[in-house]
Amino acid sequence: MSIFCLGVNHKTAPVEIRERLAISEHSVPAHLGEICAIEGVDEAVVLSTCNRVEIYGAAADPAAALDRLVAYLESHFAVASGEVEFYRHADEAAAHHLFEVASGLDSMVLGETEIFGQVKKAYALAQENGRTARRMNKLFQQSFSVGKLVRSGTSIQQGSTSVGSAAVDLAEKIFGKLDHCRVMIIGAGEMSRTTAQSLLSRGARSIIVSNRSHDKAVELAAELKGEAVRFDDWESKLDHVDIIVSSTSAPHAVVQASAIRRVMERRRGHSLFLIDIAVPRDIEEEVNEIDNVYLYNIDQLQQIANEGKSRRERQIAVCRDLIAAFLREKGIEALAGVPDERGPKGPVGSDPGGKRSDTPGRPLPQP
Amino acid sequence: MDDLYLILATLAFLGGFVLAAVSWRRDEDRPHGLNIPIAITGLVFQSLFLQVRGEMHGRCPITNGAEVLVFVSWSIVIMYLALGRAFRLSLLGVFSMPIVFLFQLFAIIYLAVDDPGPRPPAHLDPWLELHAAMSLLAYGAFGLAGIAGVMYLVQDRQLKSHKPGRLFYSLPPIRYLATALVRLLAIGTILLSVGIVAAFFMEVKPTPLHLLVSGAVWLAYALLLAVHAWRRLPPKRLSLSSIGAFAFALATLSVL
Repeated sequence: MSIFCLGVNHKTAPVEIRERLAISEHSVPAHLGEICAIEGVDEAVVLSTCNRVEIYGAAADPAAALDRLVAYLESHFAVASGEVEFYRHADEAAAHHLFEVASGLDSMVLGETEIFGQVKKAYALAQENGRTARRMNKLFQQSFSVGKLVRSGTSIQQGSTSVGSAAVDLAEKIFGKLDHCRVMIIGAGEMSRTTAQSLLSRGARSIIVSNRSHDKAVELAAELKGEAVRFDDWESKLDHVDIIVSSTSAPHAVVQASAIRRVMERRRGHSLFLIDIAVPRDIEEEVNEIDNVYLYNIDQLQQIANEGKSRRERQIAVCRDLIAAFLREKGIEALAGVPDERGPKGPVGSDPGGKRSDTPGRPLPQP
Repeated sequence: MDDLYLILATLAFLGGFVLAAVSWRRDEDRPHGLNIPIAITGLVFQSLFLQVRGEMHGRCPITNGAEVLVFVSWSIVIMYLALGRAFRLSLLGVFSMPIVFLFQLFAIIYLAVDDPGPRPPAHLDPWLELHAAMSLLAYGAFGLAGIAGVMYLVQDRQLKSHKPGRLFYSLPPIRYLATALVRLLAIGTILLSVGIVAAFFMEVKPTPLHLLVSGAVWLAYALLLAVHAWRRLPPKRLSLSSIGAFAFALATLSVL
């Protein structure tokens, strides 16, 4: 009995294809039932996220089972035969793929953690519906162990990968937890909103929005559950904020170094973090020379994000070594040797052939 | 036997130092998992050294420069183990290792060149013991405050330069460092105050020079804390001051 994986992801299929194949959470149980009813397929887990649709399962003859599974997907999701190139993995290659997915190595944002929860959820759903048995149970339990191992033993999560996350990571390196931080947004543009939302999602306490057009400030403040202040009054609020995000379209500097110097005298040693995402820049460069004040512009944030991406990419080999070592130590042989615990085609499929693959990681014929 | 304990403790801290350097070279984001066990191992050997020396003298083992250095480094390690985690400063140990290792190394050289041997007191004075122990524990806290100050300056520099280096992701937020620094200064000042008060109850009164130097150290730290409480010193200035104050405190040990 072999384990297999069939799927598409953001690297192999455009969004137009992925959205056609996407399986919503409420319809997963029905699909799991149909997949397990396919001849030769035992056990199944469906992992469907915005970046991937994957089916994991067990089969005595994975090549034949996968052909039938592809036919099932093509007929159920209005995909012409041969229109989609599904990747197919068996045994060790399938386990390795799942371990990489759970570790965030196969994600669009390398090392992101959301996928770990999504894998857990997909497995829990299959388990609740009686579509997993020992092989899938063991495989997915191992994937959780590997995911944790990779995250705790490498720097794959470290470093920002976007301008927004770079800004938030910097804020956390200055203030620690952001739950005491107040944020001021100067200029109610899209970039401001995105950055403010990132800060709020990490726990920032409150938002003040100021914009030349007060109506826009009120609108954004309402959306962010913050407070709008008139553009002429924003300086008066500086004493009470920790983070300033500026993105106006003004052709000159809006935030002067002299104003920040005055504010810092009253802040009793509290740091101030300024994020200038405007072009032309809104904040005078000299501001960064003031003690306890940290100023970053859009290029500097972008550079940090680029370095973060490179940093994560450098960790891929380390992560893969960890996964390979895990597989060597207690991987596929243990999975393949797991005896069945169910009868044929119960709620969960059984192993009709009763044979196990003795060729871990063997390549499957690709369509 | 005491020599062996001292050497083993020094080797443990050297191991910690090397491990920290290797982790840093490998671009690892967090202190190595062996950091705490190594610090504990070093502390155990330090404690055994101090115990043997204490039994030899029949009093607190701070009768010569080597013992004082080991006692101060023992205080730094124990403060780190007791407070580092509470202050969310796991990396403090990594930064402490080089200083502790150097102190231990100087102590080995000192004893190898000239070990004055047993110096039992004519009469054991518990106030003297309390004075000495509290004062050196205070030096441990001041040492750790100085190290937190160095960490603050490193992180501040990285943030200001816009080029986060290898240590950036490992070092704690600067707000935590600033908070820990103030707390360590306060703990050290309280311990030193207890030590100085104990000196007034000693049977043999301290020499005027001893009093003057101890008072100067206490005054330096008390002033630093008072000015900070009154004017809220910027963390950068506080960090520089805590490093300078510890250098001054260390220099006074040669007089004491």
